[in-house]
Amino acid sequence: MSLFLHYLSMPYLLEGIELTLEVTALGLGGGLILGLILAGMQLSRFWLLAAIARAYTVIFRGTPLILQMVFAYDALPHIGIKLPAVLAAGLALACNEAPFIAEMLRAGVLGVDRGQVTAGQALGMTPRILMWRVIAPQAIRTMIPAFGNEAVSALKNSSLASVVAVQELTLRSTQLASSTFDFFSIFFASGLLYLVLTFAISVIQLFVEWLLDLDRAQGRERKLADYLPWRRVDLATRLELAEATAADPEPVAAEQLAETPPLALTREERTRRAATIARNNIAVEAKDLTKRYGAQKVLGGLDLTVRVGEVVALLGPSGSGKSTLLRCINHLESWDAGTVRVGGRRLGFDDDGKLLSPRAMANERATVGVGMVFQQFNLFAHLSARENIAGPLRWVHGMTRIDADRRAAELLERVGLTHRADALPRHLSGGQQQRVAIARALAPNPSVLLLDEPTSALDPELVNEVLEVIRRLAIDDGLTMIISTHQIRFADEVADRVAFLSGGVIIEEGPAHEVLTNPRNPLTARFLSVMEADKIPEAVR
Amino acid sequence: METRVLPQARRGIARASQPWRRLALGAAIAIGLVAAAPLSAQAAAPAACAALQAKYPDWKGKTLVNAINPHTPGYETIDPKDPSKYIGFDIDLGEAIGECLGFKLTYKPVTFAALLTTLAAGQADIVISDIYATKERAKAADFITYSKVFDGVLVAKGNPKGINGINMSMCGAAAAENTGYVEVPLIQALMPECKKAGKPEPTVQLYDNNANCIQAILAGRADTYVNDVNTVDSAVKAYPDKLEKAIAVTIPYSVGIAVPKDKPKFRDAVLAALIEVQKAGTHMELLKKHGLDVNNFKEPDILTAD
Repeated sequence: MSLFLHYLSMPYLLEGIELTLEVTALGLGGGLILGLILAGMQLSRFWLLAAIARAYTVIFRGTPLILQMVFAYDALPHIGIKLPAVLAAGLALACNEAPFIAEMLRAGVLGVDRGQVTAGQALGMTPRILMWRVIAPQAIRTMIPAFGNEAVSALKNSSLASVVAVQELTLRSTQLASSTFDFFSIFFASGLLYLVLTFAISVIQLFVEWLLDLDRAQGRERKLADYLPWRRVDLATRLELAEATAADPEPVAAEQLAETPPLALTREERTRRAATIARNNIAVEAKDLTKRYGAQKVLGGLDLTVRVGEVVALLGPSGSGKSTLLRCINHLESWDAGTVRVGGRRLGFDDDGKLLSPRAMANERATVGVGMVFQQFNLFAHLSARENIAGPLRWVHGMTRIDADRRAAELLERVGLTHRADALPRHLSGGQQQRVAIARALAPNPSVLLLDEPTSALDPELVNEVLEVIRRLAIDDGLTMIISTHQIRFADEVADRVAFLSGGVIIEEGPAHEVLTNPRNPLTARFLSVMEADKIPEAVR
Repeated sequence: METRVLPQARRGIARASQPWRRLALGAAIAIGLVAAAPLSAQAAAPAACAALQAKYPDWKGKTLVNAINPHTPGYETIDPKDPSKYIGFDIDLGEAIGECLGFKLTYKPVTFAALLTTLAAGQADIVISDIYATKERAKAADFITYSKVFDGVLVAKGNPKGINGINMSMCGAAAAENTGYVEVPLIQALMPECKKAGKPEPTVQLYDNNANCIQAILAGRADTYVNDVNTVDSAVKAYPDKLEKAIAVTIPYSVGIAVPKDKPKFRDAVLAALIEVQKAGTHMELLKKHGLDVNNFKEPDILTAD
């Protein structure tokens, strides 16, 4: 026991820790850098980069670290690269860690909800902004446990540096054992030293997890999470967040929404509106739009023209192409033939009709201004309601923080959610989330707003609050909107025109009330009668 | 490249009968002595060394790297009193040679099997680490031989398997050896012989260093460990209740200093300096200082691959 304590406190062994940590740090730091590059290459749309990264992963994940150490130390000098032992060991460890870290990063990135990525694209975020502001902050949180594992494993793996003469803890222990024959005392002592180091890593991991915990609703000091570039939270309201969840039936909104104008326009108003719109410019024009997924035809030569200020409802059974059409309009999806023009421009193509890069396309989306609202809301889960709105304004449109926050506050007020500005999406009800999503889409003043079944994912009692917001956009703001919906009554109230899709083409379109009350196509009639069996339109005057 | 194979390279091999008992005190004593006694080795003749430094000026004032496998008490280990230092016969001999040629040495501890690769990779300039000079190894480095080889057979107390050398008594035994040691092929050569005699074959367990080989016997995993007699003696000294030396055997090699193959001039300089160190009596003094058998003394030769 005294021998054990003697070796445990022996400066010679303790100094070995320093080298152990140096090699570990080089391995982890280098591995992280290399891993970032590798993960980037693997996720790249250029297949050659992805293939190279794959090959690297296969080689370095598939060969023992001890061989890589010896290679870095003894083989590299033959081609003129003579690294000091610590660097050679660090290099080998980094090369070995990189594929593991890359897979971790890739899993983290792919683990971020695709819907949020789509929403970011629709907001005009370039791939870089999307990665930095939306994907990375969420991926990092999920990757911390895995990274803790990786750090512990790198620390233990650093002991293999002993084969290339790095005087780290293990090599010192074996040498000491050889010269003193106190085999077990020495190895128990160095084993305990390793345990202390790995325990320290675990503590750091738990601490970082705690720091980045978005739900950590306490403490006066500002948290690391708040200093991260992608997050600003008003601390004054943090405390209420956890309690003020969806359980709160939100009286404020109810009274705000009560002062809505009558549910629908009168017939005269409709006629007047139609006449005005007919004189307006074309906002969106799809011509002969065709798209297939393999053998299945999704859009079959579809034509649609929407004028400025017009509200068009797309009706039709699931799979009729409504969502695809919307996603083609802002080029979130590609198509096989036909053209789409928004404000006269072919979004996503240059003047010669060539496809733009993702980055250029993002910039064009931002300039053309096509907002989009999704069935699943797709709010950025790590950002507060306010930040969901203000963030994209700053990142995409270069607004100052003050202006962006003012605009966010304005829009939150409009959708009746001022009191929930600092809540995270997961603390909001579905209806509230969709209202925030609408506010987010409106923030940059889009010329067209696309709404893809905005109420389909909502509980029935929450549908109205969202429809009410949309209704007011149409009537008060005169915003050009294309809405795919199953809400016949809502379509009747809000839309100037309905287009009925089936099998990827519009089989019937016309003034909303006319088509809905008096369909000519038998398919339309059958669809409407099925829908009306569920809900009887009553409020149309 | 210049190669010189001197006839003596293979000489002095068949001298088996040594006063082994005298070595029983071994290096463990030496370890104690080294720390207590001031370094008593005499410097080689200053005039001769000055002449050598004039003839071979390239290494004067330099610091060279000596790759060692510091797991051989008596030859090279860390100093248990001050683990930042290395001690042993090889360490002192190397420094005496360095002193004569005007260079200093730093040490790079590697596994035994990595000694020559480290040298070949240029990560070390010289290897003085109780390594036996064989034709095989001479493919990787040139050797300046300086010591005869006497091996001891380490067994558990009482020698339960009755092992008395690398011979038929080893049939069916488990031998612990260091990766890369010359004893490995010698034991492997027994396998067909044992088979022919209708006996079970010996098995070889490969470890990284002496300490692990000795632990293998202590743990009952291996029956024997054949290595330099001095190493065997120090193991017996450390565990007198559990281990004993069965016998000494002769190994047909010399111990050599390894230098890079592409530096014949350096090889010649080291050879010349070693001759001076021997002339001054330093070599013999160091053997005594570290408790090694003076019969190990050998006049230097050069061994190359062809």
